[in-house]
Amino acid sequence: MSADPLGALGPKAPPRKNGELQFDELWESRVFGLTMSLHEAGAFAWGEFQAELIASIGAWEREYGASEARSEAKPSEVEQCPRSGEGGSAGAGRAAPSPTSGAGFHYWARWLEAFERLAARKGLLESTALDARAAELAARPAGWDHPKR
Amino acid sequence: MNEHGHDDQHDHAHEPSDPEAARLALRAEALEELLVERGVVRRESIDAIVARYENEIGPLNGAKLVARAWSDPEFKRRLLADARAAIAELSLPVGDTATPIVVVENTPGVHNVVVCTLCSCYPSSLLGLPPRWYKSPPYRARVVREPRAVLRELGLELPETTEVRVWDSSAELRYLVLPERPLGSEEASEAELVELVSRDSLIGVAPAGAPRER
Amino acid sequence: MPDVHDLGGRPGFGRIEREAREPVFHARWEGRVMGMVYASRRANWLNLDAFRHGIERMDPQRYLAASYYERWLASIERVLPELGALTPGAAPPPLAPYGFEREVGAPARFAVGSTLRARARNPVGHTRLPGYVSGKRGIVVSVRGGYVFPDTHAHGQGEQPQYLYSVRFGARELWGAAADPRASVCVDLFEPYLEAATSGAREVRDE
Repeated sequence: MSADPLGALGPKAPPRKNGELQFDELWESRVFGLTMSLHEAGAFAWGEFQAELIASIGAWEREYGASEARSEAKPSEVEQCPRSGEGGSAGAGRAAPSPTSGAGFHYWARWLEAFERLAARKGLLESTALDARAAELAARPAGWDHPKR
Repeated sequence: MNEHGHDDQHDHAHEPSDPEAARLALRAEALEELLVERGVVRRESIDAIVARYENEIGPLNGAKLVARAWSDPEFKRRLLADARAAIAELSLPVGDTATPIVVVENTPGVHNVVVCTLCSCYPSSLLGLPPRWYKSPPYRARVVREPRAVLRELGLELPETTEVRVWDSSAELRYLVLPERPLGSEEASEAELVELVSRDSLIGVAPAGAPRER
Repeated sequence: MPDVHDLGGRPGFGRIEREAREPVFHARWEGRVMGMVYASRRANWLNLDAFRHGIERMDPQRYLAASYYERWLASIERVLPELGALTPGAAPPPLAPYGFEREVGAPARFAVGSTLRARARNPVGHTRLPGYVSGKRGIVVSVRGGYVFPDTHAHGQGEQPQYLYSVRFGARELWGAAADPRASVCVDLFEPYLEAATSGAREVRDE
């Protein structure tokens, strides 16, 4: 990528803490990597994903209110030996819960939504297949991934 | 409380905290599985991109400082003299403007590397989280005693004639290494230079412009 | 094993493990611990130096086995009650000035270029003097100004600001004649940790 696709997203770019991209959950980074990987491979133009992301964020804002969307937790001062630390346990991509739904603005959830729609539109996968696979994975017993000791 | 002791990569898988988070995690996993199975994308490509953004490209604040210093000798002089004032010039988002930061310059004759042997102090207000290896007992114990060997283990071989200076952040000062500008980057724009500065090079365990490993 | 956190130069550690990728938190409780530490800092209940010392007071075996956030949790479990945060009706101490830099009432004792010796480490209480420089000679490369003195601040004995010096120790001075002649360690040390040295330190050769 010679241009900066993330920079091109402008105000819809992923949240950063102290200038660095961070992910609060592992899946967020996987979806990010998946999206960028497919873009680099030429599966879609960046503008196509950008449009989906803007639509996804816009839809959330219309439903839950733009003020909640933009009132993200301040970048926490993640000092190893903390001093005048701001921010609490909220991650970079979340805001305080909205009074209407109890769901806060979650940037990466919007990204995932946008990517799913784009992937479906491009014929990369069908949402029925995705639903089915997600259900299979959900049916795994608890602790399936715990290492045997 | 975590009862598994060491939290290394053999820990239990990351557990999302609530039903919605679990649903999203499953969906993302299903997505990746399906696309990998169908040959649309390779898992290694995803790994490489995540690693690049998390470990190599970021942190942006430090990279911007270095790119500006490489491009502008007067700025570099100010950065080495008073890093806090120079940081303020660039209006970088920093978590805590009170942190005293000192920038130490790598030259062909001198290589700098940073540690906190007593705990894990790091210029987090500027650079965000340090990597876990930086906070680990082996790094903290060994880099002050055998810096050349540690650097070699982490992938950096220094000429015997290069002096190694280890900075132990034992008080409130936080140190940032200004890596040498890579050969071949003379024509690069400042924006392109930013891409060459990794977190590891700002700690002093890698040169800038290191080729992407994966 | 006293002062297990004072790891500089300790033998017996092996390879430095690097994960290809590390999540920010490995489990939700870690984020909650971070949140508690920040909130108690903001409310001025948690004194940073006492917090660090709380980690240092962990049982040594537990310290080495613990994960990073387990150490944070261990510290606040002990320190917050000690500081009165859990006492009904107690109030936190008044807010101090921002940051850790302070005026010191007297001029600095030492200057750039002075050869100094680091004193023996105080075995009792919190300090930021790493054991590996105790008794060793180094040269002042910078006088950094006055800072809150952790040794008193951690124990509720006040800020008692002291001058901070960056002192460079040659590797051969620290580790013996077989060490690298072209390596050194620069450590930030408070004035009470230092005394004048009459003979020259074994320094890195500058060429």
